Parts: sequence; C-alpha cells; structure tokens
Amino acid sequence: MALRPVVVTGLGVICAIGRNPEEFWHRLTAGQGGLTPIQDPAFEVFEARYAGQVPDEWVTGQLPEPDTALDRTAGLALIAARQAIAQAGLTGVDATRFGMILGKCQATPDAAGHYQPMHHTQDVIADRLGMRGPRILVSTACAAGGNAVGLAKDKIRAGEADAVLAGGVDPLLFGTYAGFAGLKALSTGPCRPYSHSDGLNLGEGAAFLLLEPLDLALARGAVPLAEVAGYGLSADAYHATAPDPTGRGGVSAMRRALADAGLTTDDVGYVSGHGTGTPANDAMEAKVMRAVFGPRAGQVPTSSIKSFVGHTLGAAGAVEAVAAVLALRDGIAPPTIGFDADAVPGDLDFVPNLARKLSTDTVVSNNYAFGGNNVSLVLTTPGPDREWAEPAPREVVITGLGPVSGLGAGIAETTEAVLARRHALGARPSLEGRTFAPRSLWRHMNNLSRMAIAAARLSWEDAGLKLPRKELDDVGLVFATGAGSAESTGGFDDSIAANPNKPAVLSFSNVVLNATGGAVCQTLGLRGPTTTICNGGASASIALTCAVEMIRDGKADVVLVVAADEHVGVVPQDVFVSPYDRDSGRVPGSAAVAFVVEAADHCAARGGSPYARMLGAGHVSGPFDGLTGLAGLTEPLDLVVGAATGGDDDAEEAASVLAALPGVPLTASAGLTGDCQAATGALNIVLAALAIRDGVAPALTGLATPVAGGLADYLSRPDLPEPARRALVLSSAPGSVRGAVLLGAI
Amino acid sequence: MTLTHPEDTVYGQVGDATVPLRFGDLSAEYKVLRERAVALDLSGHTLIEISGPAAVDFAQRVLARDVEYLTSERCMMSLVLDDDGRVVDQVLAFGREDGLLLESSVGAGARLLEHLRAVGDEGVEIADRSADLTVIGLEGPYAWGVVGRLIDGELASLPFEAVSDTVWNDVEIIFARTGFTGEYGYQMIVPVESAADLWLATLEHVTPAGQEALELAMLEVRQPIPRLETAGDVNVIEIGANWLVDVTKDEFVGKEAVLAAFESRQGRRTVGFSGGDTVPEPGARVLAGGEDIGEVVFAVRSVGLGTTLGLARVEAGLAAAGLELTVEGAGVTTLTSPYIVPKSWSIPII
Repeated sequence: MALRPVVVTGLGVICAIGRNPEEFWHRLTAGQGGLTPIQDPAFEVFEARYAGQVPDEWVTGQLPEPDTALDRTAGLALIAARQAIAQAGLTGVDATRFGMILGKCQATPDAAGHYQPMHHTQDVIADRLGMRGPRILVSTACAAGGNAVGLAKDKIRAGEADAVLAGGVDPLLFGTYAGFAGLKALSTGPCRPYSHSDGLNLGEGAAFLLLEPLDLALARGAVPLAEVAGYGLSADAYHATAPDPTGRGGVSAMRRALADAGLTTDDVGYVSGHGTGTPANDAMEAKVMRAVFGPRAGQVPTSSIKSFVGHTLGAAGAVEAVAAVLALRDGIAPPTIGFDADAVPGDLDFVPNLARKLSTDTVVSNNYAFGGNNVSLVLTTPGPDREWAEPAPREVVITGLGPVSGLGAGIAETTEAVLARRHALGARPSLEGRTFAPRSLWRHMNNLSRMAIAAARLSWEDAGLKLPRKELDDVGLVFATGAGSAESTGGFDDSIAANPNKPAVLSFSNVVLNATGGAVCQTLGLRGPTTTICNGGASASIALTCAVEMIRDGKADVVLVVAADEHVGVVPQDVFVSPYDRDSGRVPGSAAVAFVVEAADHCAARGGSPYARMLGAGHVSGPFDGLTGLAGLTEPLDLVVGAATGGDDDAEEAASVLAALPGVPLTASAGLTGDCQAATGALNIVLAALAIRDGVAPALTGLATPVAGGLADYLSRPDLPEPARRALVLSSAPGSVRGAVLLGAI
Repeated sequence: MTLTHPEDTVYGQVGDATVPLRFGDLSAEYKVLRERAVALDLSGHTLIEISGPAAVDFAQRVLARDVEYLTSERCMMSLVLDDDGRVVDQVLAFGREDGLLLESSVGAGARLLEHLRAVGDEGVEIADRSADLTVIGLEGPYAWGVVGRLIDGELASLPFEAVSDTVWNDVEIIFARTGFTGEYGYQMIVPVESAADLWLATLEHVTPAGQEALELAMLEVRQPIPRLETAGDVNVIEIGANWLVDVTKDEFVGKEAVLAAFESRQGRRTVGFSGGDTVPEPGARVLAGGEDIGEVVFAVRSVGLGTTLGLARVEAGLAAAGLELTVEGAGVTTLTSPYIVPKSWSIPII
C-alpha cells in the first residue's frame, strides 16, 4: 500500500516579479520579466549589473509595525510564510506539530550588518508564527529550497508533524555578487537560459509551501493544490562548483524522485529546469533531459523561470516549486523568456518566450548546486483521500565511528584519550603524517574539509566497509555544520574588502555551507542522497534522523553522517571548562566527527559489528521547555550524554535531566574538546555508541560544584562498570532546537 | 598483434611489440587526427594487473605519483622509476576495486613487468593480462562524437582521467577519458576475443591512424614519449617529466634520486625546436654561437608545422624558448609548448 499522501495547501512568494503568488503567476504567464540594473552605487564596480531585485516597498508594505525592525532576510521570509499559511487557512494547529524546513544558501547579516547564525532567520519566523515542531535549516546551496520541500514530506510521513512550512530565502548580498562576478558566472544583461548561455543573474526572494497530510487537509476543509509525490537527492562527487558534465548527478536525482513517487518518465508533462543561464549548467541540463526522457525528451517542455527572477540561491528551489504547483493547477507552462529567436532549433522544447497550455498531472522541478548537490521534486495533481500505510520498520545501527578532534584522529586514539582523562580544550586536530585524499585534491582543501574527510574516512574504515563502485552510488551523506568553514568565509570576506573585483574564488566556492559535504562525497566517491543541516549544536542529531529516514525509506542502506565546525583565531587560555559546573566557562573548539549509519540487515549481511542500535530520536523547537516532547525518556537508561558546553545553558539542562531521569549518570564531552558546535553534537553520539559497545564514556573529572544535584549524579569515571545498555544523547542549539537520540545495545 | 589490418599496413618493431606504424599515408592520418578523429590500435600497450591485499601499498611504492586513493573510476599517468631515478616506463594506472591495472607505454610491457616482479612484495599478485585484454583508442577533436555513436553519449563528457565500467555489445569494457595528443582522447580496454568486433565497429565511424601519426601529435603537445626520450643516463628533470612525479609522497622507488636531482640543479634540460629541411638523428649536436650546448633527443618532420620538429637536451640555462640555434648546419628556433594548438581546445563537447 502507498505511504501517506502529502499535499501542498498554501503558497507564498515574494521575488522580483511579484509580492505574492497571484502577481508572481500573472507575470510568469504573461512573460513579464523582472531583471533590472542594480541601482545601489556600491555595485558599480562590477561590469555585470542586472539582478532580480525585490522593491523595498513590497517588503515594507507587507510588514506590520511589530515586524518593521526585522532584517531584510527575515522580512522576506516572514511575508512569504504568512501568505502560505493564510492561503492554506491553517488555524489552531498544535504548535508542537507545526514545523518549518527552511532552505538558505548564505549566512545573512542582521540589520546592523553582522553575520547571524544560519538558523537565526528561521528562529525569528518560526517563533513569531508559534511553531514548535520540527525545525531544520537545510543549506544545500542553490538546491536548498527544493530540498526543504522534500524533507518536509519526510517529516510528515515520519509522523513528526501535521503541518510543515517548507521553503527558502536569500537576499541579494554584495559579497556573493562579487564571488559570482569573480567566477565569471554573471551575464552582463538579463540572463537568457538555454539559448544564449552567457551567465546568470542573481536575485533575491523568499517562497514557502505549506505541506500537510492529505487526510488532515481534507478533514479540515482545505483545498489541496498539489501532491508532493516524491523527491530525489544526489551528489555529483565531481567538483566544488562545476556540475558533472555527464549530467549523471541530475539524472539520478530525477530518477530517484520518480521512483519515490512511484511514477515513470512517461508520466511527466513538464519540467521546471534549474536554468541558470551558465554554459556549464545549461549544457549539463540538456544532457539530463535527454538521458532521463530518451526519445521523448523533445516532447517534454522544460523552462527556466530564472529568466524572470534571476537566481535566488537558497530560495530558488522553493520559488520554482511554487511556480510548478501553479503550472500544475492551471495547466500552463511558464516560458523561458529572453530566448534567442535566432538560436539554432535544438532537440529540446524550452518553451521559448510564450507560456504554453499543458495537459499533465505530473511536473518535475529540478535544482543543481555548488558542492554537487542535486534535487528533483515530483508534484502531481491531488488525488482523492485514500488508504495509506505507515513506512515499514527497518532497524538501523551505527557501525563506524570517526572522531577527529584535539583528542586524536580516529576512535582508537579518542578512546585512549578519554580513558586517560586527557583534555584538549580548543585544540585543533593534528592531521600530520597522513593525507586522507589524493594529494592533488588535499593540497587545495581548507582545514574544515580536511578534518571532515579524515573523519569520514576513519569512520568508514572503522565500519570495515568495502563496497563496490555500484553500491557507492547509493551511499548517502548528511553533513552537519553550524557555520561551515570560518577560514574560507574569512578569507573571502577579506578579499572582497580589499578589492571586490579580485575575490578569492577558491574560498568563495567553500563559503557555501554544503561545500565540505560535497568534498567528502567527491573524495569518497559517494553519490547517494545528500543534504546539509545547519542548526548549530543540534545539527548532528537532526542529520542522524535524516539518515535514518533515508534508510527506512529504502533510499540508502548506508549513510555517512559527518559533522564539522571550526574556530579560527585565538583560543582563550586559562578558562576552566567543566560542563555542569557553576564556575565553568566556555571555550570554542574545532573538530570533525563522522559516524556510519547503516541498515541492520545490510550490516549483518556483510558481517559488520555495530556499536549500537537506533531506538528513537526526536526534536522540539522554540524556547526551552525542559525535556518535554523529547524521545526516550520513558526507557530505562544507563547514561545520559548531555548537550552542555560549559556555558550558561548547562544549568537548565542539568536540572531537567536530574528531575526527569533520577539516578542515571549525566555527562558531556565539551570539557574535553571545547564547544565544537555541530561536531560536539556528533561527538556526543559517537561517545554514547562507544559507551554501549565498549563501556567507555567521557567523565566529568573536573566537576566540583554542580549547577544542579550532587556530584554523584554525574559520571566521574570513563571506564563504566559495564557497557551501557541504553544511552540518551541530548543536543541543543540554544533558543532554537533541542533533540534527543536514544541508542541501545545490539 | 591482436587486431588484423589491411595488407598494405606498415608495421614496425617498437620495443617488444610489433605495431602498425601507418595504415596508409602518415600525413593524411595525422590530419584526420588533428581535424576529426582517428582510431588507434594500442595493442602494443601491455596491461598488468596488480592485486592482492597489499596491492595499493605496492602500487604506491612503485609508482612515482600518488595512487593511494585512486578509485575505480579514475586513472592517472605516472612514471615508474628504478632506484637510481631512471625511467622504467610511463604508465596509465587505472584504479580497480581489488587493486590497479597498469597500462604500459608502447612496447615497454616486458621491461615493466620484469621491474615490477623484481620489486614485488608479499601479498601482491602481478599478472600480465595482455593475453586476455587489449586497448583500443580514439583521439581527435570530434572523438567525443564517435563515443556517442559507438557506445553512449554520456561517456563522451566524462572528465579527463575518469573511468567507467560499461558494456558494449554485451561485452564488459573499461572506458576511460584519456588523451595523448591534446585532442579529446578515449581508451577502451576490451577482452581480446571481442577486440576485433569493437575495432571493426569503431572503423564504421572513423579511420585508423598508426604509431607515427600518434607520436607526431604527442610531440606537438610535448606529451612525453618514453621510448624516444628516456634512453641513456638521464633523470626525470632532464627529461622534463617532473609532472609525472610527486615528491610530496612519503616514499616511492627512485624518490631519493629524484630529490637529489632536484637539489643539485645540475644537468641538462629538454626544449623543443623547429626549423630546417632535414631530420637530424638522435645525438646530433646542438650549437649556440658555434658552441656545443647539447644534443638532439629526437626529431621528426612535422606535418602541421611543415618543417622539422624535435626535442633538444641542452644546458639548463639555454633551455628557453625563442633562441636561434644550429643543428647539423641548419638554423633552428627553440619553442614553447604546445608547438601546435589542438583544435579540441576550442571545441566543446555537445
């Protein structure tokens, strides 16, 4: 029986051609583009000046008084989010069952111009809209918006939410503009995808789709606009910025999406292309169309609405998904405008310049990104209410651990350090003596990628995995990071400050948050489903849930979770760090931690020896509310590894854990390495798995004056009397998302 | 020889292999290679399989470039050196799931095999696969179009040195994007029993070119031709093949000698030259202002340039482009490579 149908019931969009879906769709079907010269004199240093800009009055005109102080990114997102909820007529939903998946490519500045955490915009919007369900910031660069819609479907199917707002947002930033100019990727005029591929135009905007299960939507009288029938993710494993010229990444994303939807290529009547207008993209997409549709390729219209709105980066996939839903609803394919009338007629139908009537129940929306991330969404005409089944259970195990921190590289060195009660606060991992990638790649890599690749390879070796090439094509990767490469971001910003026409292009390609995940895929040759999660210290536990869903849904048998963050600059010295101690301070650190998540049947078939079983996981969002809503609290536990970092948030976590789980020893790892954000979240999972299989856990050896309870409530020895049977791992991005992962013995 | 060719094919002995030097007219074959695409009978290249638990460690030790993470979808060119840093061969190394496959240069298989066996480790199996595998090449600015018609258009746009295990006519072949001449280049490693069929199928789309046209086109882009450039007491730096060695590797056979050569800064360097109507023999003296500064490595008549083209090995300070020198009484000019700009550089794969 088919799985629970998920539908779109509300749309919201603000971009260069419309302040709402009606205006947007009217201009798309009328062929009225929105690419105009940038008036801001700061951009006069660039030869290319066209962009898809949102007029200021469209933003200010739609934000009520309490919201006018928001930065531009949050303003754009809030406008589109409210539109989608309003169209869906969604009221009175249980806040804990209402989630948000936001795609975003760039770290964006606050109103004063300072960078905010990646998930900040999402927190602002979700908190204002009273959402406390799943909250995921997905940052697969230009594929993020489409990726968000797919993940939202997963969250609903997994039963974690009854309604999810999925979308994307990105503003037009000077630095990003300079980066694309430096890559010679900008067209000097309005872009002309598919016919005169001389470059792209950047754009800005936000778009959201409100997703619900079909049954609940119909029960409350909502009108489904489209079904999110399937989606597919893939990794090129080819290059940091260039698409794989063979198009195989795009091909597998589309094939996976159709398989997920239970449809074939013959069902597809329109493809919303990525269509940036760069020669590499447009040539690759044509190959994808021919490879996927074969002799039918010329009969499947495909168009690029970037010819109207420019490339809105993290928002693009969501803006295009909104257009695809409207195309399906009205039976109209928006055109590719600016199409060169003199272009040599090719074998494909790019819907040149004029909108076209469509007669189809299935459309596909494709996006391709830096880092080699690809996503395809399959949207269909909503069907009637029907019987559905829960996903079949599939046991998932953790089979390989690859921590790389100041404590050591690999699980053997880390275990030894933990047993010896060694500390390496804020210390950068040493990777001397071994390269973990071909030298030709390794020598050009930034530090974060090197750490992440080392961690990935060590976890792979620890798992004893030896897979043939064909199987590597389906191995997934979920990358988790709070802030990506601080080294590359800093280097790029410095270069722009010095001369916007001489950006450090190598650093620019590593500024996107998913770049490191892409480098891991490229190095290990992994081409399965891949995504990147940026929710601070909760990134790794969210990544683990995504990995479990990929395996449970049959999209992969093996998924690598890799978490990495770094601190550049001075590490404070002489700071006492002991999580849960009243006198503890916090020290930032650098680490990468990977672990292998595998279907238990796959592990057994190859004779692997797992560390631990996944027994459950869950996340809640919004202001701190104890452990309410988290998984695993009713199970008998032997150990809790907390999210404490040594900072001010430790006390409420400790108080909540001691109250809810009396007698279970509590510990945390940040006292060993410093706060390595996403990597600390992953290290806690790794150490819990180690406690279960090998009976070794990080002890709070320096704890003297606990913030809650007494010393006996905390783990004081690294060698457990016996291996833990069950361990709970807490994760936290304070003020945003908290999670719990429950691991059990095999 | 694995493949059969027309009766008027001119063969020659190159090292341990008998190979077709030309099928007809060298000039015509060369022009097709540079203008369109040709098929190459590369059966003079020996395939050697390195397998066993220590295969990668062994390959990492005997190859001068880094192959530790050479996956089954990549290949790379590397030198194989002896302890003294002399070139044993220049190979194309293919990553395989259970080891590596090495493709020797033309006619050098026996020598390479002997060297590998001499330095072989425990846990490594070294097998000559030339009895059951052979190589067919495609080269030219439109070779990608031939790939599309012959096998699959998707393979044509593989990145340089990418490898794909694929199927042609129900036969499993190893397909690689390679290239010797600066033009788009591909190689197909095929079971011997199917090689004739694949060769004939290839010839439905292109004409063949022999070793002479291939080596001329290689010289024009300064692609090393080991059999002509590595004779005698010369080191890697004198040959100008530094790019086929990675001295950042921890260890490989010949590394110390290469490092010593780097550090000594002594010896000669190789530079291209053109000019004159006759083709000088290897060893012919090269003069600058009447002074003997070195010798000719080898030279040929270049169809593309319409004059003599060769390599000279001269004193390091004089290995620069644009110098007027004398070889056997004829004035020649030293060149910067490539000596001919390949057409492929301005033709995209569509």
